Order: sequence, then structure tokens, then C-alpha cells
Amino acid sequence: MSTPTAAERTVLGACPHDCPDTCSMVVTVAGGRVTGVQGHPDHPFTQGRLCAKTNHYEERVYNPERVLHPLRRTGAKGTGSFERISWDEALDTIATRWRASIAKHGPTSILPYSYLGHQGLLNGLTVGDPFFNKLGATVSERTFCDSGACTGYIMTLGPTPGMDPESFRFSKYIVLWACNMLSTNAHMWPFVMEAQRRGAKIVVVDPLRTKTAQLADWHIPIRPGTDAALALGMMQVIIRDGLVDRDYVAKYTVGYDELAERAADYPPERVAEITGLPVEDVVKLAREYAQTQPAAIRIGVGIERSAGGGQLVRALSCLPALVGAWRKPGGGILQLPLWAFPMNWPGLQRPDLLAAGTRVVNQWELGKALTGESKLDPPIESLFVYNSNPIVVAPDQARTRKGLEREDLFTVVSEHFITDTARYADIILPAATQVEEDDLMFSWGHFYLTLNRKAIEPLGEAVSNVELFRRLAGAMGFDDPFFHRDDRQMMLDSMDWTSPALQGITLESLQATGYARLALPAHDVFAPHAEGNFPTPSGKVELKASTAAGGNFVLPVFRQGSNDHQDGSPVDALPTFTPPRESPLSNPALAQRFPLSMLSPKSHAFLNSEYANLRRQLGQSGPQHVIIHPVDAAARAIADGAMVRVENARGAFHAAARVSADIRPGVVVAPLGYWVSLSEGDSTPAALNPTAYADLGRAPTFSDNLVEIRVASP
Amino acid sequence: MTHVVTDNCERCRFTECVTVCPVECFHGGPTRLYIDAAVCIDCGACVPVCPVRAISETFDLEPGQERWVEINRDFAAALPVIRAREAPTAGAEARRIELGFTAPR
Repeated sequence: MSTPTAAERTVLGACPHDCPDTCSMVVTVAGGRVTGVQGHPDHPFTQGRLCAKTNHYEERVYNPERVLHPLRRTGAKGTGSFERISWDEALDTIATRWRASIAKHGPTSILPYSYLGHQGLLNGLTVGDPFFNKLGATVSERTFCDSGACTGYIMTLGPTPGMDPESFRFSKYIVLWACNMLSTNAHMWPFVMEAQRRGAKIVVVDPLRTKTAQLADWHIPIRPGTDAALALGMMQVIIRDGLVDRDYVAKYTVGYDELAERAADYPPERVAEITGLPVEDVVKLAREYAQTQPAAIRIGVGIERSAGGGQLVRALSCLPALVGAWRKPGGGILQLPLWAFPMNWPGLQRPDLLAAGTRVVNQWELGKALTGESKLDPPIESLFVYNSNPIVVAPDQARTRKGLEREDLFTVVSEHFITDTARYADIILPAATQVEEDDLMFSWGHFYLTLNRKAIEPLGEAVSNVELFRRLAGAMGFDDPFFHRDDRQMMLDSMDWTSPALQGITLESLQATGYARLALPAHDVFAPHAEGNFPTPSGKVELKASTAAGGNFVLPVFRQGSNDHQDGSPVDALPTFTPPRESPLSNPALAQRFPLSMLSPKSHAFLNSEYANLRRQLGQSGPQHVIIHPVDAAARAIADGAMVRVENARGAFHAAARVSADIRPGVVVAPLGYWVSLSEGDSTPAALNPTAYADLGRAPTFSDNLVEIRVASP
Repeated sequence: MTHVVTDNCERCRFTECVTVCPVECFHGGPTRLYIDAAVCIDCGACVPVCPVRAISETFDLEPGQERWVEINRDFAAALPVIRAREAPTAGAEARRIELGFTAPR
């Protein structure tokens, strides 16, 4: 780390972004101004590194385009014309409008919309939930990422951290499944590389030969949405070839016989036809995985994004038990280590404030909800957006914009910048950045609790999200002291500090160190399921899931704590393969018109749509592009670099073609995050993404998406 | 866009950078190192640890310095990966002083 000069001081912070790595940041301040940030050199997971997004966080903080004062719309919706107003006027306008809506249509005419634009326990996922629950607004079901994976994982293994990511250094066989680790979980890579140096084989299952796949020992370029067939095929081979850990299965699983019967339907020959992989690769993967223990599977967030995505996670969650991978550190499956954090979810979300039966609207329905196609009664009269930029990240872009154009819709957006969504706001509120606020950060990628300390006073009139909701509570006359707690009290209330996992950790100790590892066994002995002990109803791995009987559900944490109006549709108790809704094999009629499968993963230098307006990250990423195989490009006379139009029945966007054999034929990849207002044409990849749910947890199906591409007309 | 090793590395070759690189993207000849842009993930960890500030994100290159992109790409392709710290060149300390970086970190 650079030594600060005499005039500088350093403040320990934490990266606020929706990323599993939750880095400990050293913020340098001189003269009341942030001069730079670095990864904490002593943090065992951060290891002194940040990333292409956050290396120059100060450029985000001091960007001249930041919103620093409340703004009121002065032109037509979407044109981006605003004038400065005072906080008092902004709050008064919001409260007056909301009171009128409540009087006329009731509080469910107000819809909050947020996700993980901030990951802090104070300012993140749950920050607005108590307020909107108390207000009686429509509950927003937020299933952007991991909801389907969570449902599938918990049905099988229960809410367990399962593996310590640091214990991957002891793995002998690592399968990175739908996980582009170097772009989306980069601080875990050193542990994987250490395993590789010790002789472990690294396998990447991904239709795209990502940078991660290039550094792996074996890249398996699977057809999108067919992974569950591969997982079931692996089971078939493992059972057929007598590679099952019979002792582990007998003692610590339920439903083995039924699972074996299901797996028998997936011989390698059939799996090869479905997945587009050679028969011998299916067999080899199964045998190597079973016979090279401890073996670890790391799944990425995008894994759930096709029709059968939830059951795919079920299938993968069954595999470690079949081969006894859980017996040693470095074996098992890694989904979300956040299950190790003793969160006080009821205290964070306050579902007790919800009126029973309050309606729930899933976030993929935003366009339909706003345009009236959902036929909501009462209709949505007001939208409050924070920690999210739905125009860029949600599907159904054209309809969402049409809804936001409604002159009678009252839209408030809290933001750092005038994003594509904020352009449609009636009122924009200035949000603080991480260096301007305090927070406490858990992690969904490691076992460290990290304190973020305020480095500078907020710029202009920006406020943290907790302060925003204090002000809104005041404006709406909520005098319950709960809505007016200070930051420190909110931190104390956010977790169960008496839990064994927090033994020896206090806010005071965190102020000194910046971070602390949860009081869990060290990574070299971390094997919580060596002898079963799964937090499921049976205490075992539920190969056949007892909780399937209750039907499909979204974890309440993703729906403001509400458990009302759950999906409830039937769920197969055994892992199953559901073909994609949109693929040449499963939907040949649609594929006649739109023959290419499109994936829209995260960009390396953007965090969803964040940073996609900054010159440094835009320079690194280049303009919106789409990766297409040479064979598919040649068939369409598309040259490398040509401007193309990508379309399906839902929409179209323009992109520069990147012709590359890194993608398998028949599949194209268009990174998500580019802003509409900074793009060629008037839309981005989200315009093509479907609103259909995956099989579990109402996960999105953004990777279950047929398109066609042609050279754009000049 | 990527990170590149610029002229300050020449005749220094301190190799602190390779100890923090998570992807082994440094390649080296006898007098200096280069970054393989196809492997670099722009984590930036190497920038502050270089004793002579030889490493820069291409975005931050001064006008006229763009040649380093091509130089790094071409030489990285031709030279072996440097995975572990090695002794600096014989004249590294003198070169560091000459470049105005007098005190060790």
C-alpha cells in the first residue's frame, strides 16, 4: 500500500456493490477530499486488490454529473429536464402526493422498486422495507438474482454456508459452473489458482470461453439452459459406474432410490444430444468429479436464468452428497456464504408492520403494472425507485418506458446520477456514495463482516439511504422511534450479536480493524457437513425435497419479509430437467424466426448499470457489443466490428459485432449494463429479455432468449 | 483497455508486481516486464506496489505513451510468464534514484 503523506489520512471502508467479494477498502483523504482508494492489503480475501469498477471510486464520487441536490422535472417525461428544489419542497411534494393517492386509492397504489444497488445492512436491500410496510404500499417481489438458486439450494441443503470459499485451496477438483469468476468474483480466484498450483483440475461450464475459462484446465461449452441434463447425466454415470459414496448417502441423505430412478432417464448419449457436448465428455466429467475428492462446485448468479434454472441448482446441490464431497474441507458446493451471518431479518424488514394480504408485484411485471396490462386494482399511481435502475436491468424495456411515460404517474428516484430511469422521474433525490456514509457489510462471497466508515461529509445535499427514509418517515408523520434510530443503533439491531458466529466481534472492535472473520472454524478445517447436520427438515440432504409439497416459493427476504401470495405452483420433489422455453431444440417454430440464443451477462467493468456512464469503464469496455461465432457471422455477412441489429419479438438493440470462436455456434453474448441514453438507437439488451419466470423462486429467464442478428441498415 | 508496464521498468525490473498479480499476467525479458492484456483483469493491485510507478492503466497514459499498449502485447506474447519475485537488475537502485523515487516504500 502507498504510504499516505503527512497531509493525508486513511479511513477503512467497504465496497458497497452487489458482488460476492465485499472488499475492505482503504480510502485516502486529504483536505476533506477523497484522493484514492485501495484494497486492504491485510484482508485475507481482498488481498490489496479492488477491481476495474472500483479502482478509482473517487471518480464516481466527484463526477461532475452527480446529482447533489433534489431536482424537480421541468420538461416532458424522459427528456431529462430538471430544476433544483429544496429538500423541504421535495419531501412536501412527495408526502402531499402520496397522501392524496392513499386517500383516493389506498396505499397499495404506491409501488417501491429497489434491489441491491447498495449492499449495506443499513443502506442496502432492506433499507426501505419497514417504511413501505408501514405505509401499506404494494410489496415489491425482488427476484433479480439468486432467488431461484436460493429456493433450490435451501430445498436440498437448507440455509447453510456449506463451504468456506477460502477452503477451495484444498480442493482437488473445482467446477466453476456458470461462473465467470474473473469478472464477477475475482477475489476468490487466488484460492482457485492455489488449488490449481497444488494439482487440482479447474473445469468451467459456460457457453462462452470467458477469461476464467481460458485459465481453466478444461472448458465445457454447454448449450444454454441445458445444464440440469448434464448434472443428471453425471449422476447417471456416477451411479452406473459404482462411484457413489454409499456410506455418506445412507447416513446423510433422503430420497436416493427415487433420485437414482430419475437419473436413469439421463444416459450420456441423451445428455450429449441435449447439451451439445460429446458423450465422452459427459462421462469423463462425471468420473473425474466423483473420483477426485475433495471436489467443489462454485455456481454463479446467472445459473438460474432459464426455464429450469431452479431445479438445475437442486441437481447440483445433490451431487456433492452422492460422492461424499462434503467429508473434507474443500469439498461440497458453494452458493451463498451469507447463510453464515446471523441476520436479524425481521428487524431489518419489519414484516410485522405489513397488513395481512397486502398485494405483491414481482419486479419483472413493472412494465405491465405501470401500463395497466396487469389490471391491478387499484392501479399504480406512484413509483419510488432506489438502489436500482430498472430500465437497464429489468426485462420488458419498451413497456417499462411506456409505463414511465404516463403523465399521471408520480415517480421518485433516489440516485447518484440521472440514469435512464431517473430521466423519467418527477422528483430526483440525491443519494450519498459509500465514502459519504457509515454502513455495516455482510457478504455473500466470504465470511468477513466489514465496517464502512464515513470518509468525508456528503457532497451537496446528498443523503444516505437510511437518512432518506428517516426524512420520508418524518414527512409521512411516522413518529415511532424505530424510524428515527441513528446509524449505530441500526447496526446493533441488524444482527444477532449474541450468536456464536459473532463471538468476540463488536462494533468497537470493527472500528479498530475494519473487518472481522465470523467466529467459525478456520478454512483448513471447515467441513460442517462431514457428518451430515444439514439444516433441512430431515437434517439430511434432501435429494427428494420434503418442502416441495408446499409448492414454489420466494424466500421472504426477497419480498420485504412478506410470505403472502406465494407462487405455490407445483414443484417436482426430485431434481428435473426442464428444457429452455426458447431454444432451437425445444421451440423450433420460434427458432425459425430467431435462431440464436442470447446471453446478457454482467460486463467486466460495470456493476450492472453502475459505472456504465463513466469514461474510464466505458473506455475499458468499448461500446455495446455482441459476441458472435464466425460461422453465424459468415451466414449473415457480418464482419468483425460491423454495427448489427439484434432483435426478437420483444424488441431490438444495436451493437458492434465481435466475431469470435470463444462463443459456441448458435449462441451470442451481449453484455448488459450500457445506458440507453448513451447507446446507439434507443434500447439495450434488456429490451429483448423475457419476463417469464424460471421454475423456482421466480428467478428471471434472461438466458432463455432467442434472437436474430443482421447488419444494421445505415 | 488494460494495464501496461511503461518505461520506468526498464533496467529496474523490481518484480514486486508479480507477487500481487492474481492471474499471472506478467511476462519478462532480461531488463523489464510486460503485461499480457488478454489475461490482465484490471484489478490494479500492481500499480501501487511498483517502486518506480512503472505500471499504468491505459486510460491514464499521457499523450504519446500509447505505444506501450502494442509493446506490452507483442513482448508478452514472446516472453515467458514471471510468477515469482526475482532479483532486480544490477543497476536498479541507481535507476530508481535517477527516476526520482529515492526512498523504499
